[in-house]
Amino acid sequence: MMKTMKALLGVLLLILCGLTFAPNTALAHGEKALEPFIRMRTIQWYDVMWSKDTLNVNDEVVITGKFHVAEDWPRAVPKPDATYLNVSSPGPVFVRTERYLNGQASVSSAALKLGGDYDFKIVLKARLPGRYHLHPFFNLHDAGAVMGPGHWFEVAGEPAAFTNQVKTLDGNAIDMETYGLANGIGWHVFWFALGTAWLLWWVRRPLFIPRYKMLQSGQGKWLITSLDRKIAMGILFGVPLFVLGANAMTDRQYPNAIPLQAGMDQIEPLPLAVNDGMVKVKVQRTEYHVPARSMTIIAQIQNTSDQSIRIGEFATANVRFLNPGVSSSGTDDADTVIAPQGLSLDSADPIRAGETRTVRVTALDALWATQRLDGLIRDADSRMGGLLFLYDTNGKRHIASISTAVIPKFD
Amino acid sequence: MTAKALEIPPLPYTGEKARLTRAYDYLILVLALFLFIGAFHLHVALTVGDWDFWVDWKDRQWWPLVTPLMMITFPAAVQSLLWSNFRLPMGATLCISCLLIGSWIARIFAYHLWNYFPINEVLPATMLPSALVLDVILMLSNSLTVTSIFGGIAFALLFYPSNWPIFGMFHVPVEYGASQLTIADLFGFQYIRAGTPEYLRLIERGTLRTYGQYATPLSAFCSALLCTLMYPLWWYIGKAFATTRFVKNI
Ligand SMILES: [Cu+2]
Repeated sequence: MMKTMKALLGVLLLILCGLTFAPNTALAHGEKALEPFIRMRTIQWYDVMWSKDTLNVNDEVVITGKFHVAEDWPRAVPKPDATYLNVSSPGPVFVRTERYLNGQASVSSAALKLGGDYDFKIVLKARLPGRYHLHPFFNLHDAGAVMGPGHWFEVAGEPAAFTNQVKTLDGNAIDMETYGLANGIGWHVFWFALGTAWLLWWVRRPLFIPRYKMLQSGQGKWLITSLDRKIAMGILFGVPLFVLGANAMTDRQYPNAIPLQAGMDQIEPLPLAVNDGMVKVKVQRTEYHVPARSMTIIAQIQNTSDQSIRIGEFATANVRFLNPGVSSSGTDDADTVIAPQGLSLDSADPIRAGETRTVRVTALDALWATQRLDGLIRDADSRMGGLLFLYDTNGKRHIASISTAVIPKFD
Repeated sequence: MTAKALEIPPLPYTGEKARLTRAYDYLILVLALFLFIGAFHLHVALTVGDWDFWVDWKDRQWWPLVTPLMMITFPAAVQSLLWSNFRLPMGATLCISCLLIGSWIARIFAYHLWNYFPINEVLPATMLPSALVLDVILMLSNSLTVTSIFGGIAFALLFYPSNWPIFGMFHVPVEYGASQLTIADLFGFQYIRAGTPEYLRLIERGTLRTYGQYATPLSAFCSALLCTLMYPLWWYIGKAFATTRFVKNI
């Protein structure tokens, strides 16, 4: 008997402990969790930068960047009609104070247009000291989270120093960290005290076995006294009256209260930044060589600009394959998902103004495997997408968003 | 004097027997406490979930519909056990108190200390006023039908006004990012959380929206109607699971 009780108690404690892990807020860095075709052919991030990476509590960091919404959006992924530009972090160690999409302040979700170009700016204020890896990422309704590039941030200082004051529309300055806390706890304590009093009112008498025996032997009328009934009547009328009174007082106290906001922000795409028409890229065939971990793209490139251009980079799913012969912008050597020598061409000659040439571009690096992008050859949608960066002699950049079926080679 | 004497109930047990049955009472109560804290809290976390966790999910349409409907379940089952067998009208209050203990433990440890959310963003809702009224309706009526109808209705209708004094102040408007937001919405924007962006809230959708200002009362009445059905369902579930075999052996 004692053993079963102990076992039962143990199980109950386990359940209790398990439950406290309920919040799904940590999101243990799902960079590689999604299928490759979702990471490569939905939100195509580039030029993501941060203003600083060591800061104190209350300091602000600005994350800026751009993204292209792929034209070849996978059929299996719902269209981006409700999306939310978010930041992945281990809980609210930063607070997000501002967010802009295409220069427009935005606090809600927005729809994105396929083939659209966007830039963003997120301002974060450090709340808790520590070392954190942050990524901008997109929550796509019904599809999941598409991660942007990540970066480590070091926050020093005292957690108690954090302040977060906000001004309400009726002119009061409030502290977000404690607003409504004392009032909430007060109400919970009040009702809990009342509930406990009612429980103790019953628990103080002999309970289960005596009451069961009396009920079974027809003495049930003794189990509820007239005083019990009086108190019950008091609760029956007193509690609802009190609740309605408190509710009316709250209404009087906050006459401007509004419902939770459910609107969406309207964000127009920027003028064409990717696929701007000056450089046209048409992929003819793409092979993935499994043992070599190299992707070979054969593409016809038509240069209609008045400068000669060279291919400098291929980027997909936040992995950047760089052509060491061409200096490209936005290089962050500390980042681990860059293959600095990863891109090679069949000919180093630039593509002259007006020329149309078929080139063979090879992106070779173990990152195809370590970032779990090679899995796409076994997907139901074995197509790849990404951004091809081309630079002219003046350093001007042209970006082409490409999309292609991938043929695996196993030998 | 004689009237008072009649009020004193006969005691079935005295002496050592009384002490033993009292020890048994405490054993059962402690077990029940753990069981209800664990099981009911799990049930609510899985069914009400985000609506109870986050201040910016406590909307005027779904929150007052879902919460009472999912929180009348265990109270009905435990009432059926405690009232039918022991004439103890405390099943609902006991369940909701246990739920709140579990919720507060989770909010303080899991949400605040381990995941850094300020507690005011994750205050649980209370259903204790509803539970007290449900208990006394059962006690005074001693009827499943009356409790299902009037208890179920009262349980659901009291929910929103009981919680508005806690959460009303989070609906004060703020100008932020060129929009009008509630303070609750602002929590959702500022305090980064990966799993639950605001568009996931099932708020302000469907035909109820058409009624504008009346969204809350309509939701509450809808919930009341469903609670009158949920209550007897869980009463019988409680009855099916309850067994008095262990008492008969004594
Ligand atoms: Cu990371």
